[in-house]
Amino acid sequence: MLKPTKMTRVVIAGTKDIMETTISTLHRLNVLHITDYTEESVDFRIGKPLKPASKFSEYLLSLRAISNQLGIMQKEPTSKHGSKELPSQVDEKITTLQKEVSSRTDELRAIEFRIKEKEDLISAVKPFFGLPLALDEYYGYETVKVYPGYIDTDIEPGISKITKNYELFAGEHEKRKIFALFVPKVFEGDVQKLLQEERSYVEIKVPELKGNPPIILDGLTKEVTALRERHAAIKSELDSIKKEYSDFIMAADEYLSIETQKAEAPLRFATSPNAFIIDGWVPSRKYPEIESRLLENTGGMVHLARINEKTDDEDIPIELENPGPAKPFELLINTFATPKYKEIDPAAVVFITFPLFYAIMLGDIGYGIIVAIMALVVKNKFKTGELNALSLILLLSAVLSVVFGFIYGEFFGFPVFNMEEEGEIVHGILGAGPAIAGLHLPIHRFGEVQLLLLITLIIGIVHIFLGLVIGFRNIAVEHDIKHAIFAKGSWMMILIGGVAAISKLMPAMMSKSPVPLSDPILAGGLVLGIIGVMLLIKGEGFISVLELPTLLSNVLSYSRILAIGLSSAGIALAVNTLAMDLFIRPDGVYLGKGILLALAGVVILFIGHLINLLLGILGPGIHSLRLQYVEFFTKFYEGGGKKYAPFGYNRKYTEE
Amino acid sequence: MVDPTQAGMVALGAGIAVGLAGIGAGMGEQAIGAAAVGAMAEDEKFFGKGLLMTVIPESIAIFGLVVALILLFVF
Repeated sequence: MLKPTKMTRVVIAGTKDIMETTISTLHRLNVLHITDYTEESVDFRIGKPLKPASKFSEYLLSLRAISNQLGIMQKEPTSKHGSKELPSQVDEKITTLQKEVSSRTDELRAIEFRIKEKEDLISAVKPFFGLPLALDEYYGYETVKVYPGYIDTDIEPGISKITKNYELFAGEHEKRKIFALFVPKVFEGDVQKLLQEERSYVEIKVPELKGNPPIILDGLTKEVTALRERHAAIKSELDSIKKEYSDFIMAADEYLSIETQKAEAPLRFATSPNAFIIDGWVPSRKYPEIESRLLENTGGMVHLARINEKTDDEDIPIELENPGPAKPFELLINTFATPKYKEIDPAAVVFITFPLFYAIMLGDIGYGIIVAIMALVVKNKFKTGELNALSLILLLSAVLSVVFGFIYGEFFGFPVFNMEEEGEIVHGILGAGPAIAGLHLPIHRFGEVQLLLLITLIIGIVHIFLGLVIGFRNIAVEHDIKHAIFAKGSWMMILIGGVAAISKLMPAMMSKSPVPLSDPILAGGLVLGIIGVMLLIKGEGFISVLELPTLLSNVLSYSRILAIGLSSAGIALAVNTLAMDLFIRPDGVYLGKGILLALAGVVILFIGHLINLLLGILGPGIHSLRLQYVEFFTKFYEGGGKKYAPFGYNRKYTEE
Repeated sequence: MVDPTQAGMVALGAGIAVGLAGIGAGMGEQAIGAAAVGAMAEDEKFFGKGLLMTVIPESIAIFGLVVALILLFVF
């Protein structure tokens, strides 16, 4: 918690004959983060991949091509393949699959091409429906030129001026006038000119086919139908292949990936003609395991050494370490940046503050329950990965939202407990609210804006102060206390001093009474703030004064906790008022204006709350996260660590 | 307390605060939003970061809202 896992640097050395055993032992353990060997020297060079590497990657390539052609999607495994049986099957099955699949996909592509061809012909033939000629009558003349095309105007007078020796056919296709003009070739130039002057003239190409257009069209359509049937048949064959082999393909993909990974591992080692050296990092608590396993499997032929010499912290891989409930929140940390080795990992803090901010914003029993159910559904659907982590985060936030829903007394925007509004009692669903620990529920959000605004600002001050404290610690560890005081201590003083001064100044200014300069809190705050500013200028230069206002805007930014909540509660209230007072219960009488209007009211209720719910997941989520990233993290977080990526594989479809 | 005859002015002020702040936030967000969508077109992994960047100017709108709330409820 709070700190990344402690790492130990390990160097493993041995002779080449036990390299394979070492690799497979390490791969199975899945704990060693290998540092790639890059600097070649006379004695040590980068290792060569093991023999089967090229074979495996070739298989993998063809397998992935097949899986692409079949469109196989990742899914949760139904059963696991033993990796004993897979090696014997891989060669044979991949060859058959390749034959079956590629011949079919080739045919599919050919068919698609032919369908396209035929469809183009169909659309070329259609315009000629408007003219009374067979298609072969349009071409093949030696002395006659044919002009088929669309035109809006009557060209006959123009043509007859050029020659009397012509034939003109006219008709209509899809409400456009179509014509075909036959003239002797000697007049080609003149006719061409005449047509070009007509703006509405559009030339059409005659497809080189024989027969009457309707008959040709009929034939073409039949051909297309036949082709489509064949296409569908092949598709369904491919589907059945996909169904039969998809488990195998995924298992084989995993098996081959693992084998390729193992075979290519020596590329990361330093090797001499007869020996190899692996350099890497192991979580310190796992070192004994890796040592005993390696010695056991190689018969003590391998040498391990823990290196204690100081290394650059930047080389150490980072694995975040948090107890179960806070684990999903590592996702939010890693999305921002991976911390450095000596930095605080804030996942445990975010585990508390993120759901808290979310809940204060959403704060509705009904919405909380629905979001919780949605989170549970997603959690059950995705057992691992980012979506699982996200659903756990959402679940926690939603449960807390229900708690705040009780405090605010809101259920889909309806009052849960009785409350007073402008002197009148509004009756809640559960009647009078209970008093818990001297706190009389509900604390309604619209009634207590001033109080809640103050609370959110206090939350902001505490949160930012916490960020500065963590930043102080980070700098003290990385540099020294002096630096920490200049860089973070100064800000803490300014924050506390500023808050103390403003808490006294504001009431005085509001009531227009004289500023109580002699007040010890005000004076102390001012002095503390000024000392802070002086420290800041000494540590970071005069330019840092420009950053002072950001502190104020950071604190004010927390007022969004109230604002987002109020807007969500406001929308809910508006929807409820609209639906209840106008449709379902006009003038205080249920179904006062008939059942149909009441039903319309129910629809309004449903749609309104659905929209508000969607906004209610997105808004509080993003803004709560933003407060962490922008206001909190910037006070201490640098990030830039290397993520711990152990040599190994998390098997999903196969087992050893 | 505000003079009852001036209560409308408070409401107007609140409306102007929210409205202008919203316009400002929108102007800020349009550039970021466009850039975020562009980044997402290159690589879908930018969705989270893009969404976050896009809401950063939303602070301005929230400041406006807070001013309006103070006007309506505190004064």
